[in-house]
Amino acid sequence: MVNLQNLADAIKVGNRAEATKLTRQAIDEKVGAKEILEAMVGAMDEIGKKFQRNEVFVPEMLIASRAMKESMAVLEPLLVKAGIKPAFTAVIGTVAGDLHDIGKNLVAMMWKGANFGVVDLGTNVSPEKFLAAAKEHKARVVGLSALLTTTMPAMKQTVAALRAANLAGLKVVIGGAPITQEFATEIGADAFAPDAASAVEMVRKLMVA
Amino acid sequence: MTGQERVDRMFHRREQDRVPRHESFWAETIERWQKEGLSGDTRAVLDMLETDFHQLCWMWPAAFPGEEEIVSQDEETKVVRDAQGKLVRYWKDKSGTPEHLGFECDSRQKWEKVFKPALLDSGLQVDPEATKRNLAIGRKRGRWCFMAGVESFEETRSLMGDEITMIAMAEDPEWVRDVSKTFTDVMLRNLDACMGMGIAPDGLWIYGDMAFNHATMCSPKMYRELIWPDHKRLADWAHVHNMRFIFHTDGDVNGVMDLYVQAGFDCLQPLEAKAGMDIRRLCPKFGKDLAFFGNIDVMVMVSNDRGRIEQEIRSKFEAGKATRGYIYHSDHSVPPQVSWETYRFIVDCVKRYGRYS
Repeated sequence: MVNLQNLADAIKVGNRAEATKLTRQAIDEKVGAKEILEAMVGAMDEIGKKFQRNEVFVPEMLIASRAMKESMAVLEPLLVKAGIKPAFTAVIGTVAGDLHDIGKNLVAMMWKGANFGVVDLGTNVSPEKFLAAAKEHKARVVGLSALLTTTMPAMKQTVAALRAANLAGLKVVIGGAPITQEFATEIGADAFAPDAASAVEMVRKLMVA
Repeated sequence: MTGQERVDRMFHRREQDRVPRHESFWAETIERWQKEGLSGDTRAVLDMLETDFHQLCWMWPAAFPGEEEIVSQDEETKVVRDAQGKLVRYWKDKSGTPEHLGFECDSRQKWEKVFKPALLDSGLQVDPEATKRNLAIGRKRGRWCFMAGVESFEETRSLMGDEITMIAMAEDPEWVRDVSKTFTDVMLRNLDACMGMGIAPDGLWIYGDMAFNHATMCSPKMYRELIWPDHKRLADWAHVHNMRFIFHTDGDVNGVMDLYVQAGFDCLQPLEAKAGMDIRRLCPKFGKDLAFFGNIDVMVMVSNDRGRIEQEIRSKFEAGKATRGYIYHSDHSVPPQVSWETYRFIVDCVKRYGRYS
């Protein structure tokens, strides 16, 4: 009988062959989709915490995320059948004028690993595009990334555009190398995430609040 | 005291008249300052700062030099297949890091069959004659003259992209090791060609961003095994040629400081304050082995708040001067939110607090 702890361990060390094999085995053995999903999300949570503590680094996080993604693809039909969907959708992108994507990609990866629905708009995203995507996908969260001090004003403009639209319950999380909590407060963002793992925790807190 | 003598004394931790100086700027910063009264360009600002440094050449070996082509463009950006064979989007009228759209070198097989042979066969990617001419100019100005280029981690990420590089570091370390070693071989070949002109520069300044805002991208152990041997080779090469070795990396590299010392680095630059680098803590611990170059927080500069700026410069100069192993530079590049008036104030502070007397 499959041991879901082994599945979680395979994801944590980025062993995608083992992770997908154990996912299939769990499905074959009629383990519930929710139970399998929780094992996977728990594994990614642990990786996120280790990343925060500098116990694992980007390479380890990438291979764990890939193992998670491939296992999720195996599980997807069962999730659909069971009517299990991500509780909410988050839109993410790098703000206008900024072409950097490493930080944004890591956050998107961690959000997917936490089973948030993620719409990645890419880089150099205008306030109008963020707003349109938030409306289209009925997003509960918008994540804004900026690496440059020169693009921080674009972050402020995007937050202003989202606030002006008055979308019910929408939360804005910001991050990036030059971003601080002070800046987040100043521009009216709901939270500042200093790293990819914190971005998961921040969103969970915001969704509960 | 010439700039060359000053920087040389700094590396020996001997008496200097003042803290040596250098600076980097975004292109948009200079454009702003020109509108606010700057007469001239980057060079005029560096002259006002009385920089002590003079760059001789720039080396970033690529697999297909001269084969860049524009694939598409719109009003703001252009997509280019660059000399590494990758697709990148650049701003047309702005500086900054480009967006990476796709990497041709996405497997070990392609590396071994296409990219490695191309790189090894790429010939010289530096102009030794121009390097020699630039050295004569730098000597005439009395400045500390350095050759500059990129190290193998930056090169590998440039060739293969972050995701492929870092997954390979975890799953196929021998591949990354081979890429790093090959790039470094090519780099050293270019450096040797310059030295073949009979020149004697003062230093080698190597660029490679190893870290982001809270850690190095890979673990210190992975860095030690895969990349560090080539960093050490570059530092050793510099020392064999009686040159100093300066290493540039953005981000939080606190976790690998000991490895930098072991590799024989002479100086670390630019020490990004917002990533937790702080010479007030680093100088007492590493100041004997490593000189520090930079660390003046651009986030404080952009506040345009004279009180905060003066305190930043005063406190960090105090820490740096205590070891005699400190060079002024911002902790990145001066961004365009800094006014010309503010930057002139910064230069005044640098001159005032930089005196050793």
